[in-house]
Amino acid sequence: MAGHDIFRLSDVSVHYGRRAALEGITTQIPCGALVALVGPNGAGKSTLLRSLLGWLPLSRGEIRLGDEHPRHLHPRLAYLPQRLEIDWDFPISVRGVVSQGRWPALGLLGRFTAAERERVDRALAELDLTALAEEQIRRLSGGQQQRMFLARAIAQGADIFLLDEPFNGLDLAASAELLHLFQRWLAQGRTVIAAVHDLPLARAHFSHAVLLDTRLIAAGPTAEALSEANIDLAYHRRMPVLGARP
Amino acid sequence: MTLLHHWLIEPFSYDFMQRGLLSALLLSISGGLLGSVLVLRRLALMGDALTHSLLPGLALAWMLLGRGPLALLAGAVATGLITVLGSALIGRLTRLKEDAAFGSFFLVAYAAGIALVSQAGTRVDLLHFLFGNVLGVSPVDLVLSASAAGITLIAFVVTYRGIVLEIFDPIFSRSAGMRGGWYYGGFLALAVVNLVAALQTMGVILALGLFLLPAATAYLWCDRFATMLGLSVTVGMAGSAVGLALSYHTGISSGPSIVLSLGAAFLGSALGSPRYGLLHAARQAWRERRSVRHTTD
Repeated sequence: MAGHDIFRLSDVSVHYGRRAALEGITTQIPCGALVALVGPNGAGKSTLLRSLLGWLPLSRGEIRLGDEHPRHLHPRLAYLPQRLEIDWDFPISVRGVVSQGRWPALGLLGRFTAAERERVDRALAELDLTALAEEQIRRLSGGQQQRMFLARAIAQGADIFLLDEPFNGLDLAASAELLHLFQRWLAQGRTVIAAVHDLPLARAHFSHAVLLDTRLIAAGPTAEALSEANIDLAYHRRMPVLGARP
Repeated sequence: MTLLHHWLIEPFSYDFMQRGLLSALLLSISGGLLGSVLVLRRLALMGDALTHSLLPGLALAWMLLGRGPLALLAGAVATGLITVLGSALIGRLTRLKEDAAFGSFFLVAYAAGIALVSQAGTRVDLLHFLFGNVLGVSPVDLVLSASAAGITLIAFVVTYRGIVLEIFDPIFSRSAGMRGGWYYGGFLALAVVNLVAALQTMGVILALGLFLLPAATAYLWCDRFATMLGLSVTVGMAGSAVGLALSYHTGISSGPSIVLSLGAAFLGSALGSPRYGLLHAARQAWRERRSVRHTTD
């Protein structure tokens, strides 16, 4: 199912006040792929992710996945913001956080059954967190903390992962682990749409790319979308030589 | 045994002490629950400011409408709302940040409250108002305490998951389609109702002690939210009982003596909690320094 879906964006524009964060984006983002959102700072990568979640009022255009507005896709979409504003001293265990993934489906009072618990166990196992399940969350490393939130998304039943700069702050080993996980998800037909600023990494590991600079510069298979010419177009005017006049 | 009886059991053989104790125990339930949110959401100082700002409303209501709990509640809600909304407005629309706006509001409100109470002369006993008087807990006050505790407990049971997400990760609850929004307002409303209910036993200023201290104590011991809620209610109850007995034997007002008992539990925990106490931190720092010295030698 997931593999056949396509995010269709037609003429999507988002404004913060009078400033345009995205302008006239028309493209398709395939599911069942690893999609890198690439572009200079302020190009609208985070804005695009949040538009895909259906959070931002579009000043023009529309976004659909199949026939659905993104707001009706809740259990399928998982979002990890760039800077997690999490109080790591909150009295909660890793299992506690992953269990939260079941809450949207259960509502406030739905019973947390043995079947739910099993789903949480599977999510913990999938992200290699079983041994850490009862730890308080501050005792995890940065990479483990990120995996905990991904496990929560798995427990929720998500198959489309919208990740804002997931490689930020990860060391080499943790980055490699995350890439390995993405490859596994890809094989399972899951979708990762991630803002990435590391071009070589995007080229080497992502199947598709969307190159932005407020407007759409290019989209498609990574090799084409991130061609030197396109990268120049997106980044050139943002890299002025010091002292040169615009 | 007889000593224990003399210190802890005998005081509660009097009707007024029983009412005071029952009221404090009931409010320990809501206080422990609300206090935990206060601690985890870092609203402790805001709560303190809020209690002070209730004073003028309470004083006015007392002078104009008498000391019925509903009148007091109305007065408290009025000034509480003015403070919360006023400082939010100033914080947003002027260059002043919200904490400065809140602080200024609460000082002015507190001063106005003291002025009102002192103008009222003998009709309102300032000391009782500020620090609580367990002798004054009437059956009507008990009903108010029971209702406040009951509503709070039900609200926590029904919206437990929402509360956890609202404090821990509001972005997730939004991305997963769980609606927040009402939690903050609901929390403030419950806080005001419970502060008014605690007024008689604890006094205006110290009422927050029954919220904050048990939760701060429990936080130093617990790694699970539900455990923290339970422990902070238990600490509140124990502190109330010990504090009231202390008040009976020493003649100290009930508010300060309950807060002092809870304070002893808090300071003891801050020092001695095996994972999060000062002694543990000091021992750890000392060990680290020693190991650094050994490796550089």
